[in-house]
Amino acid sequence: MHFKWKRLGENALFLSPSIILTAALGIYPLLWMLRYMFYDYAGYGDPLFVGLDNFRLLMRDGLFWESVGNTFIYAGGKLLLTLPLSLLLAVILNSKLRGGNLLRGIYFMPTIISTAVISVVFYNIFNSYNGMVNTVLMKLHLISQPIDWLGPKYAMLTVIIVAVWGAVGNYMLLFLAGLQSIPQDLYESAAIDGANAARRFWSITLPMLAPVAQMVIMLAIIASLKGYESIMLITEGGPIGKTEVMYLYLYKLLFPVSTGSPVEQQLGYGSAVGFATAVIVGAITGLYFLLSRKMNKLY
Amino acid sequence: MNKQLLIQQPGGRGKSTARPFSGRTVGRAVMWLFLLITAILTLFPLLMTLSGSLKTGAEMMTGGSLLPAKPQFVNYVEAWKQANFARYTWNSAFVSVMATAGTLLVAAMAAYVVDRRHFPGKSLYVTTQASMMFISVGAIVLRPQFDLMVALNLNTTLWGVILILISAHSSTFFMLIGFFKAIPRELDEAAMVDGSGFIRTFFRVILPLLTPGLGVAGLFAFRHAWNEYILPLVFTMTNPQLQTLTVGLANLRYGSSAAMQIHLMMAGACLSILPMLLAYIVANKSFIQVTAGSVKG
Amino acid sequence: MRKKWSSLVLCLLLIAAIAAGCSGNGNNNGNGAAANGNSEGSTATSSTETGTPVQLKYWTDDRHDQEYIKELINKFNETNEDNIQVELTVMSENYTQSVDIAFSSNQAPDVLRLKSANTAGFVKKGYLAPIDEYLTDDLKAKFGNLLIDDVNRFEGKVYSLANTGLTLRLVYNKDLFAKAGIENPPVSLQEMVDAAKQITEVGKAEGIYGFALNFKNPKQAFDRSIREILSLSGYQGLGFDLKTGQFDFAPYSQVVEYFKQMYNDGSILPGAEALDIDPLRAQFAAGKIGMYLSFSTEPGVYQDQFPTEINWGGALAPTLDGQIKGTSEIVSAGTWLGISAQSANKEAAWKFMQYMYGDEVLKTYHEKGFGIAIVPSIVEQAKDPEIGGMEGFLVGEHDSLWPASPNVTPEGSTYADAFFKYILEGGDVKAITDDLNTRYNAALSKAVEKGEVTVTPNPAFDPAKPQGE
Repeated sequence: MHFKWKRLGENALFLSPSIILTAALGIYPLLWMLRYMFYDYAGYGDPLFVGLDNFRLLMRDGLFWESVGNTFIYAGGKLLLTLPLSLLLAVILNSKLRGGNLLRGIYFMPTIISTAVISVVFYNIFNSYNGMVNTVLMKLHLISQPIDWLGPKYAMLTVIIVAVWGAVGNYMLLFLAGLQSIPQDLYESAAIDGANAARRFWSITLPMLAPVAQMVIMLAIIASLKGYESIMLITEGGPIGKTEVMYLYLYKLLFPVSTGSPVEQQLGYGSAVGFATAVIVGAITGLYFLLSRKMNKLY
Repeated sequence: MNKQLLIQQPGGRGKSTARPFSGRTVGRAVMWLFLLITAILTLFPLLMTLSGSLKTGAEMMTGGSLLPAKPQFVNYVEAWKQANFARYTWNSAFVSVMATAGTLLVAAMAAYVVDRRHFPGKSLYVTTQASMMFISVGAIVLRPQFDLMVALNLNTTLWGVILILISAHSSTFFMLIGFFKAIPRELDEAAMVDGSGFIRTFFRVILPLLTPGLGVAGLFAFRHAWNEYILPLVFTMTNPQLQTLTVGLANLRYGSSAAMQIHLMMAGACLSILPMLLAYIVANKSFIQVTAGSVKG
Repeated sequence: MRKKWSSLVLCLLLIAAIAAGCSGNGNNNGNGAAANGNSEGSTATSSTETGTPVQLKYWTDDRHDQEYIKELINKFNETNEDNIQVELTVMSENYTQSVDIAFSSNQAPDVLRLKSANTAGFVKKGYLAPIDEYLTDDLKAKFGNLLIDDVNRFEGKVYSLANTGLTLRLVYNKDLFAKAGIENPPVSLQEMVDAAKQITEVGKAEGIYGFALNFKNPKQAFDRSIREILSLSGYQGLGFDLKTGQFDFAPYSQVVEYFKQMYNDGSILPGAEALDIDPLRAQFAAGKIGMYLSFSTEPGVYQDQFPTEINWGGALAPTLDGQIKGTSEIVSAGTWLGISAQSANKEAAWKFMQYMYGDEVLKTYHEKGFGIAIVPSIVEQAKDPEIGGMEGFLVGEHDSLWPASPNVTPEGSTYADAFFKYILEGGDVKAITDDLNTRYNAALSKAVEKGEVTVTPNPAFDPAKPQGE
């Protein structure tokens, strides 16, 4: 009996830092949000219980739904560019080609750099009046007039490019790991059977990569829906809300920045928006999970 | 051999059967071109940062040439002294080292118990940790976290930021569980038989064996803490002297003569990238192995 | 493998040791500050007896005058007889957020810089302490006619006093105007559109454009341009109709049409959508921009921050039809410093405030060109600032203070965002205007209901004499 209590005590001792921190700084904030989403609370004075008013406001808040749409464009654009590019790089680097390690090191480098820092840099090099991107493009005679990279037409493309720049290396590496776990003898026997390279790619590489790819894509979807730090530093959601994504919109409700629409701190409504964004991301992830499992069964 | 063929697909498939030699060459050329362009695009912003950090303010202002006319190393001195980067660097180092050490300790202790023992509520604990990685409600959590730190009187120091960073230890936890599994249980048992207590066994026998795992997980925790922006931004808003590198650099945009100081901003960016870059060059393999390992495990 | 790891870990530990040593300091500092914070609360009364100085925190988001303010504070710290030490913190764009956070975490400054844009909000949130009890008869005489409801006086209580105001002007590059063959700065919006077009035609090859504004923040851009165009044309500059006590954005939309025309003409600097004010000034100083509109802080800026070789000047803003039917609004007037409601040392804070509001300080502030004096006794004594370009910004017959307009938060986008969207993308301007009117007036009546705002329509309001006779 004494022995059991001692074990339990040891367990508690070792787990308590983790449990206390998770409870206080991970779970409590969620409960806080779940409470205040029913309140009218601007951060001062007494919170006022308003029932579902915040959600009614949410339903008719055009700016929020616009930001949801922008989030899909942003995430979709990032995924469509990142995933094929990183898979292609992974397939190439999977062969032991000369200089492969160096290239892999270079491609992976962006993932170690602070998004905030590199976004400040990107803001400066994408500037239309003195940015280096336009200078280089004009020197190469690819364009004759400066492109307004941060203007309403191209701002979304610009922030997607920055996101892709930061992500390709990471997913390349994940795909590479998947490729390296494919048994070599499969290829050898296929070669004996006379299958050409394309055939081998479609009938061996892709199916064998599927389980890894399924997880990589899942991670990529979540990450691309969540990202807003670099947008915050490059365009602050502008111009005219073209790059406003939902997590940035939420941030502005809590900490109104000088630009953009929400002009006052709104903690109650912010909680409702936080809840809604979590539900949206959860729903998309869940949907993807179901779909990819179905696809698996079909195989 | 097979793989060599496999990699040709992007450029030269199809041709290889008809004219094997030239198809191969063209394919290889296209492939290398692709690899090189990608590499250049990857490096471009970093090179621009480096070159910008050595330009004068006026050169930066007008755009102009790719390379500085005459490298201005004095920019670094100025950024370090006048633009307060010395202070920011210490703050960043303090936050990152403390958060890394804390995260490793908290996660390692928890992972050890979870891997080695059974206890009531174990699956609840593991599920909670797993869901902490997936639930994302955005910046809303910052407010209750901040209020909590105010209540604990920690909001005027960087400890608030550090504690919050440590509290997000679930990915480290799962990473370390993998490493614990690789350490045979017989070792614990042997140590216990020799009369070593649970705590002593953990710190004296197991933890040293976990060093590689701690190194890798620490690298990731350090990267996360060093690069974090929004958390220290919000927590240091009332205490500019506590700003970390990321926050200080981003705030430079609003400095009184920010428009004329882009060169200093670039020097600051270089300063803040440098430590991670060095760590990356030293520990390139572990970064890559662990990132790769995260899908296999 | 092992060896490499142990060396890496050793490395990390070394860094940790160094950082811990340093962090010890950082930490002490932090704790020290926290402890100070506490002692301010608990031992404030005894502090003067024991000889420990009274620590005051002063926060501002003014950056253009910070050297002078630093000087003033140093002098105050050395010379005051009450053992008061003031610590200055200059904030950036995050000022309002920082104040919010500070007040919710017991770190509030004792003295705050107040601007007309944030004072009402701060009073509403209970951040400020009234200063009526400190106002002597002398002070009442000095500032008496500058105590304005909803500007520095709320529900009968005074929270701040006036110092300077800012005039707003069209800032234009004389060289570029000459090059394009334009003799005078535009007096009507149509002339402005034409001038912008001509300058762009002549200069585009060299990257020179006729017009620009800091559109990264449309509200800031419009509130330094359209606001002035409207008030000089005879309308309140933020879309509020003082006669009816309702919002009416119809005049606003007329001005917006001209801005849209410039955008359609391609006369606006490309990239202006992402421009902050300082990069804009840098481009103007480099001779790349024909004209923009801004505050009377510009001359100081081009003297200190962005020294320039171009010939430039300030002129009255253009009006809707070239006729001056109103007066150019002097903005950010009526408030300067205020005392925190949370301050434990309000007496000391007032002493500092009193020092700052002294004749000599206010006079010098004007003469150095940081703002334009509006306190009558100061206006009499002070000389005109000796800064290049300031002549165009001095208060003249067409400048005056306007009554405050209510500050409300509508559901959905602000007028600035909505109109800027129209400029870039087009749409039905009538519908946009109606929608804005509906939403702003709804928010207004809600705020009135809650008691946050009071509105008194003034059917006799005369834009040529906004303060009455």
